[in-house]
Amino acid sequence: MSDFLVELGKRPAARRLVERLGLPLSLPQTLRRGDGPWEERPLGNWKVVVAASPGSKLSAALAKTLAAAGASPHIASGEDAPFHELGEAYGRPALAVDLAALPVGFRPEAAIFDASALDDPAGLRALYDFFHALSPVLARCGRAVVLGCPQVATLSAPAAAAQAALEGVVRSLAKELGRRGSTAQLLLVNPAAASRLEPVLRFVLSARSAFITGQPIAIEASVSAPAEPPLVRPLEHKVALVTGAARGIGEATARTLAREGAHVVCVDRPSDEGAAGQVARAIGGSLLAVDITAAEAPEAIARHLSERHGRVDVVVHNAGITRDKTIARMSAEMWDDTLAVNLMAPVRIDQVLEKGGLLRPGGRIVCLASVGGIAGNAGQTNYAASKAGIAAYVRRRAEELRVHGITVNAVAPGLIETRMTAAMPRMILEAGRRLSALGQGGQPVDVAEAITFLASPGAAGITGAVLRVCGGAFVGA
Amino acid sequence: MAAKSTSTRRAGVPKGRRAVVVGGARTPFVKAFAEYLKLDTIALGTAAVRGLLDRYPIPRRDVDSVVWGGVILPSVWPNIGREIALDAGLDPTVEAMTVTRACASGLQAITVAAAAIERGDADVIIAGGSDSTSNAEVKLPQKLVHVAAPLMFGKRTPADVLGALGKLMPLSELLPRVPKIAERTTGQVMGEAAEDMARRNEISRAAQDEFALRSHQRAAAAIASGRLAREITPMATSVTAGGAGENWVHSDTIVRADSNLEKLSRLKSAFSGGRKDHGGNGAGTVTAGNSSPLTDGAAAVLLMSEEKAHALGLKPLARVSQWAYVGVDPSDQLLIGPALAMPRVLARMGLELGDIDLIDMHEAFAAQVLSVLKALGSAAFARARLGRERAVGEVDPDRLNVHGGSLAFGHPFAATGARMVTTMAHELHDTGKATALLGICAAGGLGAAALLENANLP
Repeated sequence: MSDFLVELGKRPAARRLVERLGLPLSLPQTLRRGDGPWEERPLGNWKVVVAASPGSKLSAALAKTLAAAGASPHIASGEDAPFHELGEAYGRPALAVDLAALPVGFRPEAAIFDASALDDPAGLRALYDFFHALSPVLARCGRAVVLGCPQVATLSAPAAAAQAALEGVVRSLAKELGRRGSTAQLLLVNPAAASRLEPVLRFVLSARSAFITGQPIAIEASVSAPAEPPLVRPLEHKVALVTGAARGIGEATARTLAREGAHVVCVDRPSDEGAAGQVARAIGGSLLAVDITAAEAPEAIARHLSERHGRVDVVVHNAGITRDKTIARMSAEMWDDTLAVNLMAPVRIDQVLEKGGLLRPGGRIVCLASVGGIAGNAGQTNYAASKAGIAAYVRRRAEELRVHGITVNAVAPGLIETRMTAAMPRMILEAGRRLSALGQGGQPVDVAEAITFLASPGAAGITGAVLRVCGGAFVGA
Repeated sequence: MAAKSTSTRRAGVPKGRRAVVVGGARTPFVKAFAEYLKLDTIALGTAAVRGLLDRYPIPRRDVDSVVWGGVILPSVWPNIGREIALDAGLDPTVEAMTVTRACASGLQAITVAAAAIERGDADVIIAGGSDSTSNAEVKLPQKLVHVAAPLMFGKRTPADVLGALGKLMPLSELLPRVPKIAERTTGQVMGEAAEDMARRNEISRAAQDEFALRSHQRAAAAIASGRLAREITPMATSVTAGGAGENWVHSDTIVRADSNLEKLSRLKSAFSGGRKDHGGNGAGTVTAGNSSPLTDGAAAVLLMSEEKAHALGLKPLARVSQWAYVGVDPSDQLLIGPALAMPRVLARMGLELGDIDLIDMHEAFAAQVLSVLKALGSAAFARARLGRERAVGEVDPDRLNVHGGSLAFGHPFAATGARMVTTMAHELHDTGKATALLGICAAGGLGAAALLENANLP
């Protein structure tokens, strides 16, 4: 169902009129989304302001990321030598910027505060100074990123407090910036994982992360990573399996994975064979029509992958259903069906793939959780059970597969505009849209981009995580 | 400087099969829409080839083929190489092709010819290039072509004509579009790319003007010394500035011996990013004075296998020893290609920049040359882009474009590479120096480089 306010907000005249009349309407910002495959320089000509707490060790990685992505660094504080070095190499000289006296008309596309070396709450003041100056001038659909350190055992108590404080700042900043389509993210970089920062930072800065905001994302060094992960066409020569590929998020995911070079095996129920076949043909993938809840389905999938490809690199457990009723009114069948598709099928398929040796080092498993599974909804005990189960499943599974070089993650979509949500009652849908920080629902492609990122070689630093794609739909008190 | 033997023959090429430059000939280069207005690229190319054959009267039957470069090609006769071969009076059995690689087309023709000679496909090839910006075709909009074509074929009724007219609305879309040197992928005009590079590499207006002035001064000195006369074949034109009958152009007309910094600094910036009326901030640095002008002209080079040249009793000037072409993202620094291509040629030859005696770079814009020089001199660039620790090196101004460049002579796109090869081949021969490294930037984010070696050295 089209979102009237988003459509209205696209018209500058309407936007001006609403402001002039002082209507109590907050027109959501049209989000800038990715266009076509991953670009060599997703941040072409962006002005990116960078500041760092004293003693940070991430300046080199940060400078390399920005230079390779085509951004012009503006240094507010911290070590600037790596920025000058790469600025010279790529013809984008690093400029100094004074937060207390920003140039007139200065509208940076992104602001990055590197707090990874922050070890005392007093140092948080610099974070205030940084975003106090920059949040009013950040461009529309801009990016605020804070780099922190995960709660590792070596942190002192004051350092742990200061680091935890970052999360509060970012979550709140996300809500403040959302109206202008901007996002805020916290990347928690393990000191041993600095080399894995680039692909993640590139993703959260880029338009591909349009509907992700207010998220802490941990970057660890526990899974082996390629030395130079590809920045474009990340999935070339990869074989990907997507369940529920006929429509919605599954279709968008199949298309996005294929766009980045993967051969996608599209799985859907025999009753949806026509739609799934169309997707498979359009993206040059292949079709496998099986009901994933059938007893023989995991073996059929493993056989298909083994015979045609000898392996699978990316598994996306996307297939999902809702059978909503309050638990008092819910039939046992509704309970069983939902659990069978959403939770038990992924578990069984993974087991067979692992036993068959089809998942190789560098493999990626991505499951679909849901914000509903985290927050709960009346009428969704079955659905929330399956999705909460998935969240725990990926955490444990990640630990098991870590040594094999395989990551396991979930994305948790919030309100995404699909056939499923179009069937929601109008008022609930409308409330759901406006409750998110970005003031709107997401698109299937937003989830697909997140899944594709997690499936890429460069996402090796992220495992056992649940990445919410919800536009910042979290309410606290 | 003492001649240094490089002994860096292309792997596997027997000595006698090495490709050598025997000589070159070109038309004088003139501004577009001036003396050569009525001469198209075929007429200009024909004049250059005739001039070459007059200067080097080899037996005509020995010419195996013509490889010709062109950028603005006539759409009905795009293989201008063949037309030039026929018009120049070469035997109809002399086969011919046309190559196009934007501003590197002339060099491309020469390296295609050199490769054919090395392979033993040919012994004598005339290679070169020509362009007449004055005769760029003004194209009808595709919309008009698509609507009108059905009316041209088969029977038509008045109703068909009326229907076609209806499809042509609004008529404003039917105005022929003025050809423009803009990138197809980015829409960026060349000069805007240069402006962008000047800003990003922090190249000042003064540095650009100084570089342009030096180009004019050196070109003027080269003309005054008479050394260019042996490369230039006078051109008969049917029109003059006054509109009178046949007239002759004997020498390049764009070079300004009397230019000075004060004059250059007074010129206004020419491109958006510079021009306020184009939405720029008025802080542009690229002007008509420090850009190469639109130019008409042609240049031809006589290439042979070393053994054939000796058999004919000719004294070759230089060997075409190595070359490389690279691509960069046109949406980044469009004209930075030579900074990657030139080090690649050096690496293939096992040479360092310091080993090179002469460097000749195509001067599309002073800002572009200075950006490339800055990159070559940067250790940061070498580390990030070339995978080497040390900078490629600072280019000694005394070895760079010793007889001026495209800023002064002008730039008839496909002729420039052949002009550079001819001038450098003579220079190696005259001075006894060993090596000359050429660098050319081209539209589409292309870069080209080639190494010439003195043919008298082993």
